[in-house]
Amino acid sequence: MTEKVRIDPFTLEIVKDSLLAIGDEMFIALAKTSMSPIIYEVLDYASGLTDAKGQLLTQGNGVAGFTGMLSFMVKETLEKYGKTNNLRPGDIIIINDPYGGGGSHLSDVGLVMPIFYEDELIAFSANKAHWTEVGGKDPGSFTNDSTDIFQEGLQFPCIKLFHAGEINEGLVEMIRANVRFPDQSLGDMWAQIAALKTGEKRVKEICKKYGKDVILSSITSLLDHGEIISRQELAKLPKGTFKAESIVDTDGIGNGPFPIKVKVTVTDDEFICDFRGSSPQVPGPVNCSYTGLVSAVRTIYLAIINSGNDVNDGAFRPLKVIADKKSIMSAERPVPMSNYYETLIGCLDLVWQALAPHLPERLAAGHLSSVCAVTLSGTHQDTEEPFLIVEPSVGGWGGAPGQDGASGQFCITDGETYNVPVEIAETRYGVLLDEYSLRVDGAGAGEYIGGKGVIRSYRALSDGQTATVTFGRNKVKPWGINGGQEGTPNEFYVEKANGEVDGPFGVYPRYPLQKNDVIKLITATGGGYGDPLKRPAEQVAMDVKNEYYTAEEARDLFGVSVNPVTFQYKEMDVRG
Amino acid sequence: MRIATDIGGTFTDLVYVDDNGEIGVAKSPTTPPNFEKGVLDVIGKSGVDKSAISTFIHGTTVIINALTEKKGAKTALITTKGFRDVLEIARGNRPDLFNIRYKKPKAFIDRYLRKEVEERLNYKGEVLTPLNKEQIKEIVDYFKREEVEAIAVSYLHAYVNPTHERKTVQLIKELWPEVYVTASHEVTKEWREYERTNTVALNAYVQPTATKYIDKLHNELEKFVDSKNFIMQSNGGTTTFEEAKKVPINMVESGPVAGIYGAAVLGKVIGEENVIAFDIGGTTAKCSLIENGEVKVSTDYYIERTDRNAGYPIKTPVVDIVEIGNGGGSIAWIDEAGSLKVGPQSAGAVPGPVSYGQGGTEPTTTDANLLTGRLSAKNFDYEVNLDKVKQVMKEKVASHFNLEVEEAALGIIRIANSNMLNALKLISIRKGHNPQDFTLVAFGGGGSMHAPALALELGIKKVVIPIASPVFSAWGMLMTDLRHDYIKTFIKRLGNLDLTELMDQWTSMEEEAIDQFWKEGFDKKDIEFHRYLDMRYVGQEHTVKVPVPGGKWNEETRQAIIEKFHELHEKNYTFRLEETETEIVNLHVTGFGKVNSPEMKKIYRNTTLMDAKIETRDVYYENPNGWVKTDVYDRELLPINEVIQGPAIIEEKAAVTVIYKGQTLIVDEYGNLIIETEER
Repeated sequence: MTEKVRIDPFTLEIVKDSLLAIGDEMFIALAKTSMSPIIYEVLDYASGLTDAKGQLLTQGNGVAGFTGMLSFMVKETLEKYGKTNNLRPGDIIIINDPYGGGGSHLSDVGLVMPIFYEDELIAFSANKAHWTEVGGKDPGSFTNDSTDIFQEGLQFPCIKLFHAGEINEGLVEMIRANVRFPDQSLGDMWAQIAALKTGEKRVKEICKKYGKDVILSSITSLLDHGEIISRQELAKLPKGTFKAESIVDTDGIGNGPFPIKVKVTVTDDEFICDFRGSSPQVPGPVNCSYTGLVSAVRTIYLAIINSGNDVNDGAFRPLKVIADKKSIMSAERPVPMSNYYETLIGCLDLVWQALAPHLPERLAAGHLSSVCAVTLSGTHQDTEEPFLIVEPSVGGWGGAPGQDGASGQFCITDGETYNVPVEIAETRYGVLLDEYSLRVDGAGAGEYIGGKGVIRSYRALSDGQTATVTFGRNKVKPWGINGGQEGTPNEFYVEKANGEVDGPFGVYPRYPLQKNDVIKLITATGGGYGDPLKRPAEQVAMDVKNEYYTAEEARDLFGVSVNPVTFQYKEMDVRG
Repeated sequence: MRIATDIGGTFTDLVYVDDNGEIGVAKSPTTPPNFEKGVLDVIGKSGVDKSAISTFIHGTTVIINALTEKKGAKTALITTKGFRDVLEIARGNRPDLFNIRYKKPKAFIDRYLRKEVEERLNYKGEVLTPLNKEQIKEIVDYFKREEVEAIAVSYLHAYVNPTHERKTVQLIKELWPEVYVTASHEVTKEWREYERTNTVALNAYVQPTATKYIDKLHNELEKFVDSKNFIMQSNGGTTTFEEAKKVPINMVESGPVAGIYGAAVLGKVIGEENVIAFDIGGTTAKCSLIENGEVKVSTDYYIERTDRNAGYPIKTPVVDIVEIGNGGGSIAWIDEAGSLKVGPQSAGAVPGPVSYGQGGTEPTTTDANLLTGRLSAKNFDYEVNLDKVKQVMKEKVASHFNLEVEEAALGIIRIANSNMLNALKLISIRKGHNPQDFTLVAFGGGGSMHAPALALELGIKKVVIPIASPVFSAWGMLMTDLRHDYIKTFIKRLGNLDLTELMDQWTSMEEEAIDQFWKEGFDKKDIEFHRYLDMRYVGQEHTVKVPVPGGKWNEETRQAIIEKFHELHEKNYTFRLEETETEIVNLHVTGFGKVNSPEMKKIYRNTTLMDAKIETRDVYYENPNGWVKTDVYDRELLPINEVIQGPAIIEEKAAVTVIYKGQTLIVDEYGNLIIETEER
């Protein structure tokens, strides 16, 4: 505190802003130079700065699911190299070990760079990004039927990629030899390195300008600021214990469903999520690490305390996360982890569901609750070059007091994620899209309706294509609140060229597609909020005119009789 | 005589230059919703001889207002079968990551007015399914019943082959000549169906409003003057009234870009080709970087986009501007955790800062400038109650930090400057430019107040406060040429591309330009073309704009372009990939129809510094910290080329310039203020 008094409050504020601006700059730099659509379109990466102890200062997130994961990478780096005084200026550490500091799956490759000023370690810049390829048994690496970690690709167990500014050429050659699209993966690696160096350069600049002590005080002040805001919001929440139970559909290799449960305890100064009693870790790749679980809780916690996008470790100080060892959400080596995010979302959704009825002004009814990942590979019909689509899908969100659910949005753990335009997909990949439209199925009725899922149909334009689909929330529907109705599940069908229809499926590894087979991907409609009979009749008539609901549904679900030609309407007796 | 009128939120500005090069300005209130009235008012107020007006140039907010207030026409959309919901699905992104109640921007066209037609092209532009004309007839009947006013047509891959869109438009015009109709390829020829569809939808949405407005203005002007009339477009150039009506969405940033263009023109006159243009108004600050005299234009433009909202993309050429919510009226406030913030909330013109005495109760940047002596109570158009301003500053800011009023006020100025500094860094350092190689041209009501301090921070050696700086956007319009940008997606690897194929593309784009300029009264020889390629490494998404030569290309040209791309990529993103193939994404041709812009006139003054001196007053500074007696001068009376040492203050109508210790100021022979920072 003595230091803080010496520095005027405005300088601290200006330095804090500079740190946040550095975070933004690092984030943009990575997207602009990446080679992989999953990074530059989906923004499946995170980047930021931590202090010398690995406490997160600022994180630019493309996807919410990485919330706070960077600090775990830095902490592992400190554990391995910091303690023995083995970090040097110019070092860059590479890490993707999911059970420890990596925290997600092997595809997310993390880089960590210590930043020194006047020979003192003052901060770290770090990022992690989803490489399109890290090797393993399937193209695109992440898979839904692996049985151990070794099938999922190369493991980087927190080792030095750069030593005092010198790159480890041997390691680069190993990567080149072990991944299917080395130019993409190494291109992404260079993009990550460039972003880290930008962070290092900028931090040194502000150290030079303001002096090291001012920077260190500002870092303390930044973290305290996060904590203060967080605690103020915590004080406004209802106190007590709230429970929810659900399932993870399947592990992809025939087992499941697996029960998961949470007990959320909110006190004056703590927010405790206890997942004990959930399923043990499982044979297939839906296991999530404790780090992943913490990220899930952090994400929904930020949504609940409504703190905006300023993510730093101070904000998380009131949080406590408890899980059984070797459980599905706290898995240990060597179980497969490739689809960890489906369990991560499941855990996040539990906390959301437990609190939603008590916090209607901050939360909403249930949403698609799955990344709905699609991997499609094959050969382009014109260029005869191999192509690989790796993409998440958009679906419906839940209704909330005062607003209908959003249609066609990525799930909560995604974020500043963009769908791939049809015109780009058809140019690059060997497919034609038959439709990209809203799913209209009469579900999610409520005073405020659930948002619509979508239908995206890929027609294969060459033989021998392969689709791997991982749609969670296929067995449980997105939940409604307060009288709002459920949504519909995520599912897909295959309409073959010979007229045969196969499906519906949720999770399916390597479905073979021949020329003119169509894979029809259909995502969830969100849950509704409130009694459908309370939806204004005029609005219901407009829903019918817009073809969001049929006239029959207006009558049966909403108690409004709508003329399907003139759209004149009459409220029925059932509305009272 | 050439006159320019610029409609702003509060005032409509006018700047004219007569045949002797004399400049005059006028201001009159903006008059929504009949904006043309404000234009006529300000012409009247300026006292110019109306019959002598030979050229009339206009900047308007009619388009952006119709969009942000959602007051456009009842608009319908026709799309390829299977894709009417593209407009509603949009891109699925959620910038507000941790908001479960995120409100997705609502499509401008409701679902019942989005209709699908059987037709399909593949990515190469080949027809897979022919256009079903019968369906179009049915749809038009339906739209008639719904009393639609404007129709947008957007088909997949129309940027490669617009035939189906053309046929559709033609058919609609035959069936229903009165309705406004636009096809996507007429507005943008870039790929990405959501962005293109949204752009054409918004164009249709504003077209009736724009047409009526331009026609009304034209009719009013015609009553008393036989002038050539032009409208400012977002690309920093003008077009005729007739052409503007065809693609009105091109006017979305009509006003603000004129100041940026003006800064480029001024830079050329005073021999500064590398300029950062900086415009501070009441609510926002805008900046843009000009390199080698060229204003940067791109199609990465959105309305209503923030770090919390996805906004709406408009793929039309717009001058690259970074805008932040910090201006003279920005409100200072203490957040929940006790940190001082400035903006983005603004007190606006009403009630305005506390010092206006019009009911403002929140401290603003302007109030802070008053309390630190940068502004004088005598500068205001209002009676200033200084005690009231001090009291508000004490209660809302100073007491919280246990500071004196002037310390708190200085804190506000520093935070505001820090916000602006981040915006300036965003367009310079973060794009690989060294700000020290640039001259800062600052204008708008607050530009001159803050620019010298920001120059010190950024290490910029020279700041220019131009003549007419408070109405500089209108001045910029006076200097404009006609300009059209033609951008077309053309995905080819440059390394093995058949150059003849590329030359054919350039030729056809330039012929389109020649045709459009001809309609605007320009001969081929009076058009100047610039070509660019949007390029990237194969596999990347984002592109770098590479200026490329005109005329015919050979192998050498190809190699030179590839090298230029590597160079620019490295400059922008710190690395190059020599071994990786390069790819063209877009072809971009800019055509300028050069007009005889007025020459800047040199001024003569027979005054001394003593004549110009108004007073000496106490001003509160950061470095060294404390009150310093500072000389205050009247800009209009400053002698030319005489050096004033900082700290000093220069006052003029509607603006104040503050220079600091270590800076000097002169008035140059055109009347611009030139501020230089001594080498440290």
